[in-house]
Amino acid sequence: MQATSFTPDTPIRFSVIHRLLHLVVMFGFTGLAVTGLSLGLSSTTPARGFMWLIGGASHAAMLHRYCAVVTYGCVVIHALWFLYYKFGLAGAWTGPDSIVPSLKDLKDFKHHLAYFFGLEKTPPRFDKFSYMEKIEYWALFIGMNTMGITGLVLWYPECFTRYIPGFFVNLAQTLHFYEAVLAVVVKFFIHIGMAHFRPETYPADTSIFTGRSHKK
Amino acid sequence: MSAKGWMGTAIAGAVIIIMGLAGLPQASAEMDTLETGKPVCLDCHRQPNIHTNEGVLTANAFCNGCHAKAECRRTVDGKAVSLQVPVSAAKENPHHYSACIHCHTDVARSPHKSQTGAECRACHSVHGESTAHAPHLRVDCQACHFKSKFVELDPKDNHVKLAHSDLESMPISLADHTLTDVKDLKSCEKCHFSDNRIGAPAAVLPSKSALCILCHNSPLSMGHPIFGVALLIFLVGVLATLRFWYLGSVQGEENSLHRKISLSSETIWNIIFSRQIFSLLKMVVLDIILQRRILKESVGRWSMHSLIFSAILIRFLLSLFTAIIFYFHPDGDWALALIDKNNPFTAFANDLLGLFILLGILWAVVQRFIIKPVHVATENQDNIALLIIGTLIFLGFILEGVRILVTGIPAEIAGYSFIGYSLSKILSVFGLSWKSIYPYLWYAHGIVGALFVAYLPFGKMRHIFNTPLTYVLEEVSGVRNEKRI
Repeated sequence: MQATSFTPDTPIRFSVIHRLLHLVVMFGFTGLAVTGLSLGLSSTTPARGFMWLIGGASHAAMLHRYCAVVTYGCVVIHALWFLYYKFGLAGAWTGPDSIVPSLKDLKDFKHHLAYFFGLEKTPPRFDKFSYMEKIEYWALFIGMNTMGITGLVLWYPECFTRYIPGFFVNLAQTLHFYEAVLAVVVKFFIHIGMAHFRPETYPADTSIFTGRSHKK
Repeated sequence: MSAKGWMGTAIAGAVIIIMGLAGLPQASAEMDTLETGKPVCLDCHRQPNIHTNEGVLTANAFCNGCHAKAECRRTVDGKAVSLQVPVSAAKENPHHYSACIHCHTDVARSPHKSQTGAECRACHSVHGESTAHAPHLRVDCQACHFKSKFVELDPKDNHVKLAHSDLESMPISLADHTLTDVKDLKSCEKCHFSDNRIGAPAAVLPSKSALCILCHNSPLSMGHPIFGVALLIFLVGVLATLRFWYLGSVQGEENSLHRKISLSSETIWNIIFSRQIFSLLKMVVLDIILQRRILKESVGRWSMHSLIFSAILIRFLLSLFTAIIFYFHPDGDWALALIDKNNPFTAFANDLLGLFILLGILWAVVQRFIIKPVHVATENQDNIALLIIGTLIFLGFILEGVRILVTGIPAEIAGYSFIGYSLSKILSVFGLSWKSIYPYLWYAHGIVGALFVAYLPFGKMRHIFNTPLTYVLEEVSGVRNEKRI
């Protein structure tokens, strides 16, 4: 993260607000995962050890809610930034710099598979975001919102059951748990695999911290 | 759901209803045995589990054996006082499903007399500044939350309680358990009227505002519209200042505000994640918090400025700490000590720090208007800042003196507020109706406080933001300006 190693004309991949949001979500999400899994799998030994460390399930629940507010706050800021990008900066939602999936992603995927099996000499040249990154981004963005909504239902069941039937709370509980497992699996296996263990990025893709794209 | 499913649900519902109905006569049967049957040992000598509905029902049936009857009364000074707990009141009460002995913890014994009264705080927390101000720490819960209009000051522990007699000294019953709607500010007027007996100000005052956290512990609400207006002016001022700063060019960019913000945030990010951050932090501690650069200029100026700056900073940090502590553990010893204006530490610290600020202001006034050294160029801006802070602190001390005077806090408690107590003695010489003056003084202090906040981004006080920022920019760019702000 040395500022001096960049020339001023190195292209900027992530602006400061995205770096900041990533940094906050990194800690918020880890906190959510640790406290949430400890609550969801409370009978297991690691969960019991963690509960002992932080002073009981009520503290874990409290920390879980704090982390949730911080993390979901980042989602909201990100969504607001999207609006600013579209209407304030008159940015395009499609094109090579976009996070929105396009037909090229399918072609890239085919090309990439062919490359893996030795049918192509070179890997595909991705746009700003590759198809893998787009899948991860949208999985996370949609997942955060379902987690947020189901989490709110579980946080304020009295308020929500005024408008929706009671079994939605049970539904929310089930969804919240399995979506959480899915999110944790995606983050801790696929995201870490992509950002650290790909040959192009090993040992770490630092562009989300420095903001600069790595050498092409 | 299929027809069979509905049938099952209906049968289950019917069974539950029948079981419920069967349960009801049991309870009243128990009440009947208590009323009519011969008492057996276990009627009294037992401990029902009051955390179950059944236990609550049997425990209350035992109390109601006497207290539901109209003839349940005692005699005080030859006058009968009813001890009947009206059944209708119990039905409206939110504690309807709690056992009597859940709150009246020490009555189920011989002699049948309570020393403590109802223990509200076994379940409920002390509530914060937004609903009740710190002086209400000496008011018992029932004094506000019960319907009875009569309150008294108990000189033994200096607490305001429900009175056992009305204004004509006729004994009154406190057995009515209906609660009053404290959201209706009319209910506050049972204490807050002129000529009250308990030392309450003559008007119902709003709570402090979140803006007051600069010096006082305060809630997360606006308290009164004047504070909202002050905050609005403050925010407009900050935005205008930021706008003004971004009018200039940033690293060669002249036009696009988006580019300017991008470039400057890029620079900030790169400095935070570099070794430069350590020298920057050192500069913040030495030059901004400890004011080293002013010390280099003159010890006198440093002392004067530090008296004001450090005292305000410490009061701010203390208030912030109190707010956090109170949020997490409102009934903890620390939270209660820090929100209690009469607590020895809190009283002493607030008086001492207030005195420091006032001394700093006086010193500055003497410099500007009496000594007038050559290097001090007196501007109107400086005078306004001194006037606002000076008035604010002065009114604060007067207010504290009046509070100690009207609430009649004894010297052994109030003595720790060494200025406030002395002022209360001086003020008591003037035979004024301080209970009626207190609300005006409160609003005066509040308005000057709001003025202080609103004025922050405009006049002299802007240096609170400008000077540290200049220092930071100098440190980053490695250039030292000779001209001081």
